[in-house]
Amino acid sequence: MTPLVQVENLEKRFDAVRALADVSFEVEAGEWIAIIGPSGSGKTTLINILGGLDHPTAGRVVVDGMEIGQLSERELTRYRSDKIGFVFQQFHLVPYLTALENVMLAQYFHSITDEKEAAEALRRVGLAERLEHLPAQLSGGEQQRVAIARALINHPKLILADEPTGNLDEENEATILKLLHELHSAGHTILVVTHSQAIGNLADRRVELEHGRLARITLPVR
Amino acid sequence: MPRRSGSMFWRIFRQLLRASRGRLTVALIALTSGAAISSALLNINLDAEQKLRHEFRTLGANVVVAPPSAGSDAALADASIIDRIAGAGASQLVAAAPYLYVAANVGTQPVILAGTWFDQVAKMNSWWKVDGAWVTSRDDSSHCLVGQAAARQFGLAPGSHIDLRAGERSVSLTVNGIITAGGDEDSQIITSLDVAQNLAAAEGSILGRIRGMIFWTIMLILILTTLGVLASMAALAMERSRDVGLMKALGGSVQRIMRLFLAEAAALGVVGGTIGFAIGVLLARWIGGRVFGVAISPRLAVFPATIILAVGVALLGALPLRLLGRVRPAEILRGE
Repeated sequence: MTPLVQVENLEKRFDAVRALADVSFEVEAGEWIAIIGPSGSGKTTLINILGGLDHPTAGRVVVDGMEIGQLSERELTRYRSDKIGFVFQQFHLVPYLTALENVMLAQYFHSITDEKEAAEALRRVGLAERLEHLPAQLSGGEQQRVAIARALINHPKLILADEPTGNLDEENEATILKLLHELHSAGHTILVVTHSQAIGNLADRRVELEHGRLARITLPVR
Repeated sequence: MPRRSGSMFWRIFRQLLRASRGRLTVALIALTSGAAISSALLNINLDAEQKLRHEFRTLGANVVVAPPSAGSDAALADASIIDRIAGAGASQLVAAAPYLYVAANVGTQPVILAGTWFDQVAKMNSWWKVDGAWVTSRDDSSHCLVGQAAARQFGLAPGSHIDLRAGERSVSLTVNGIITAGGDEDSQIITSLDVAQNLAAAEGSILGRIRGMIFWTIMLILILTTLGVLASMAALAMERSRDVGLMKALGGSVQRIMRLFLAEAAALGVVGGTIGFAIGVLLARWIGGRVFGVAISPRLAVFPATIILAVGVALLGALPLRLLGRVRPAEILRGE
């Protein structure tokens, strides 16, 4: 069976700075992968390339049969709306749209909006009472749950979460990790960027980066 | 039930307007001001000349035939019309005369000059009191009649000489008689049609220059308005760059995102143009009253013209928002 994600000899340079060098790994559909490493190790760069937000300088990245480096800007836009669900550390919700509208925004860019389905997605993450709230009226944990509902709404092939609990307290962190765990159990493929060993140990495998290079791929310690 | 994406478009559109109402209000004020002044000038340009022509003569003949439009050529009478009037029902016709009114100067003082057929004037206005004598020859190009108020103003008496000037053209005439008509003619100078036509050609070129001045004034105002809108939109673009980066990351195409911003700019143009047109009408009335002594009537054709100008300026001013299409989501989301 072909892996959902294939990364081969990936290199990314920003002018003279080499952010990633010779990174190779594969991800099977339904896996939960933790990308671990200290600050500046290239974790976010890697996830940006996998999410079609950045182009690789060299090497191949294939997701669900599509080679990222070969896609035009228009195709990358389509790729992001069809295949990827993003969860960011800073939540990145549109501040003037309600929780419901933020979820519907992803539907709008994907195809057509379905208010009922968007409301259901928010109910699943425990925000049934917060549909009409603006992001500023929500706690950090609630905002991140809106972002997760938004990431799931178009049934993406791959969920990319960049430090999803980085801005949350322990209680909210536990809620978000529980949600990710449920998504994994439901068969979603998840790549979580984290510098936390504890979160890394929740994954099926850990891809460890150091100075832009793949240091090792390990199994979690439980 | 899935809904058409159009309704989501308007939902985002409404929230966008609400969220940015401060900056958009500044842009709207700029657009409204520009549209108001442009609308006032367009109304004055279209209405003033015709209004003045109608005001010149509302009494003194049973039928008044005036050129239909206010173009520079329209100020010159068409001889064929005069022949047709004379031909139709000639048996009942007591007298018929063309009138061509020209704004001229005696020295630096303005005066209205009425060009007509001298032989018909005496028949049509037999009740006029004339100190001196009528001019009897229709095409006499060296004599004139002067209204009593104008004669007093310029110190004229029968036999006096008067120099009339319109633009770069001038003519020297001898006063044949001072008339007391009890109407507008008392403040006018009556000449042959030829003399008036000769001076009107110069007046036409002055009107052309005035129109040119109005055109360039409108252009200048529109440029200044565009700069005002640009300033507001540039600030708005800075505020929205993160949102645009996020929308692109979520799979929003540049066209789809830009459609929102362009619809917003167009809506501003329509609202600014509509309010501006209404203010412009009031402004034109006020300017008309102060400068020309007549109320300027609003012209319906100015409304769509104002809207088109305001929308055009708004779309041009929205250039910084259009440039947002180039933002790279990865850089924006990294906070660069």
